[in-house]
Amino acid sequence: MTDPPEGASAPWRRLDARMLLIHPLETLVRFLPALLAVFVARLGSDGDDRWELLALPVILAFGVLRWATTRYRIGDGQIELRRGLLNKQTTTARLDKVRAVDLTAKVHHRVLGLARVEISTAGSTREHLVLDSLGIDAARALRAELLHRVEAVDPSVAALPAPSGAAAPEPTDELLVRLDPAWVRFAPLTVTGLAGAAAVVAFVSQVLSRYSEERTAVRDGARWVAGLAWWVDVMVVLAIVSFLAVAGYVLTFWGFRLTRNRLGTLHTRRGLLTTRETSIDASRIRGIRLDEPLGLRLAGARRLKVVTTGLAHEQGGGGGGADWLCPPAPASVVTPLAALIRPDEDAVSGPLVGHGPAAHRRRLTRALLPAAALAAVLVVAWAVWDWSPTVLVIVPLLLVAALGLGLDRSRALGHLVTPDHLVTRQGSLDRTRVVLDRPGIIGWTIQQSPFQRRAGLATLVATTAAGGQHYDVVDVPVDRAYAVLAEVSPELVREFR
Amino acid sequence: MLREPAERVSRRAILMWTVEALLVDVVLLAGQVVWWFVDSSPTRTAHWAVGGVWLAVAAGYAAVMPRWRYRVHRWESTPRAVYTQTGWLWQERRIAPLSRVQTVDLERGPVAQLLGLASVTVTTASAAGPVRIHGLDLPVATALVQSLTAATAAETDDAT
Repeated sequence: MTDPPEGASAPWRRLDARMLLIHPLETLVRFLPALLAVFVARLGSDGDDRWELLALPVILAFGVLRWATTRYRIGDGQIELRRGLLNKQTTTARLDKVRAVDLTAKVHHRVLGLARVEISTAGSTREHLVLDSLGIDAARALRAELLHRVEAVDPSVAALPAPSGAAAPEPTDELLVRLDPAWVRFAPLTVTGLAGAAAVVAFVSQVLSRYSEERTAVRDGARWVAGLAWWVDVMVVLAIVSFLAVAGYVLTFWGFRLTRNRLGTLHTRRGLLTTRETSIDASRIRGIRLDEPLGLRLAGARRLKVVTTGLAHEQGGGGGGADWLCPPAPASVVTPLAALIRPDEDAVSGPLVGHGPAAHRRRLTRALLPAAALAAVLVVAWAVWDWSPTVLVIVPLLLVAALGLGLDRSRALGHLVTPDHLVTRQGSLDRTRVVLDRPGIIGWTIQQSPFQRRAGLATLVATTAAGGQHYDVVDVPVDRAYAVLAEVSPELVREFR
Repeated sequence: MLREPAERVSRRAILMWTVEALLVDVVLLAGQVVWWFVDSSPTRTAHWAVGGVWLAVAAGYAAVMPRWRYRVHRWESTPRAVYTQTGWLWQERRIAPLSRVQTVDLERGPVAQLLGLASVTVTTASAAGPVRIHGLDLPVATALVQSLTAATAAETDDAT
């Protein structure tokens, strides 16, 4: 224990009083639609009683109540969070189950020097403790207290002041990577960037189409756009989408930095408006994931994520993007970074063992069959229902694209067992290379579909408590699958040989 | 190469899977009957065609699946690990070391209760890795749960 003594006598601590300013603001934003409705209704009537103003003291009272009834304390090997007046809730988590501590500060938090603390723990319930909000210094001190408890004998850590004190990041932290603004050029090349941009474009176009009937400006604009050559339209759309993707990248990753302290705890900080700080205890890390989606790969870029326990796996193991170790960046930055975190040259960048001709054929079949079916439908549509012959132009394009995809996917397949890691790689548009710590594997599954059985292939699944919960070696020859299993978990295989 | 797990599940599991398959057919049949009375068109050809198709598929499924599944389903538990083989068309083998086991559950569905069967679920800290053994004789299942619980109780690690 760092500061509080063992036993139930540890002092209760409160949220920061400045949250009283934030709470009404957030409530206001939440009820904004209702308030607008009231306001609009008021315009139509001539009464002038302002009863909705009564809501203000109520909201304030709720804020005060929340502040007054929420307390937390650390002691006796656990953190306790108590809240509620009538319906009292107490959440308890053992300190040795704390997996990661997340500090999030939205714009209004930052103005007031506050941060929301989210403590992720492991266990059957996978609960999250949320403290909304603490002063930024108190939040950092709490984080240090939670994550460094094991090494409390370390004088510089034990000397960390109580949550009221200031605790700047230790000067000994090693800076692993810092965002280079030039990297935003990779933003439009990722699916997430494009999806975000597409959502915005779809929303705006929907809003515009609602007004397009009556607003001549919009109509003239639409006519002007329709009059342009098609490639100009494409360029315009590309430009807009790229701009939005870049904006998204900047908002999410501005000021990104990854540091590592003496104890090996990884610490990321990022965000332009909403800042987010994540700390991940070294003992929780089970590996890393190198993503090289097609767009990034063509531009010579990669991105890096961490495979760790204790981040909410509902969101694909990411805990809402808390697992980023490096945003899309040149491979010359990402690969050495990966080697710093998992110093195993072969696992991070070495050549992998391929899965052979049967797996190769299977990738091609799986890519070409749907494309061929679609092509057949198009040809039939042209022949029987007199569809325009332009559909015939699509057919070869479709088949070539499917062939390329299949080839790229079969090239991606590979795995490797090194003394410390199991490496697996798959995918084309979403190629990932996972470097999984061998001790992090807590079970195995060997799956075979009827088609795989005929081809003599199997999918070897390594289950883990971290990240995506399972990582697959796809379409590996059956005897090779068992060889990998025997190499990584010899004690298990010995039981059932 | 790994050998197959040693133990077969109970023979009554075939009956359990058959009954479960037929229960789904009852739902389909109910839909068919509703359609028969709701439809106002004079010809009933479509009804017979649709009914005939799903009846053939369902009969084939209820006849083949349980037996095939019984041939595949196997399990084995040692002091160090639990090992299963399940499925029929899509098959899989699962191995979990007991040192990583978090909970051991015994479940009995309505059909299983009637037949004196139970299934055992062994979960690890991975959401992807529960090991399930269906269609065990109740005494076998209870004994298995006891031995697994005893083996895992010794572990104090958080098994991640």
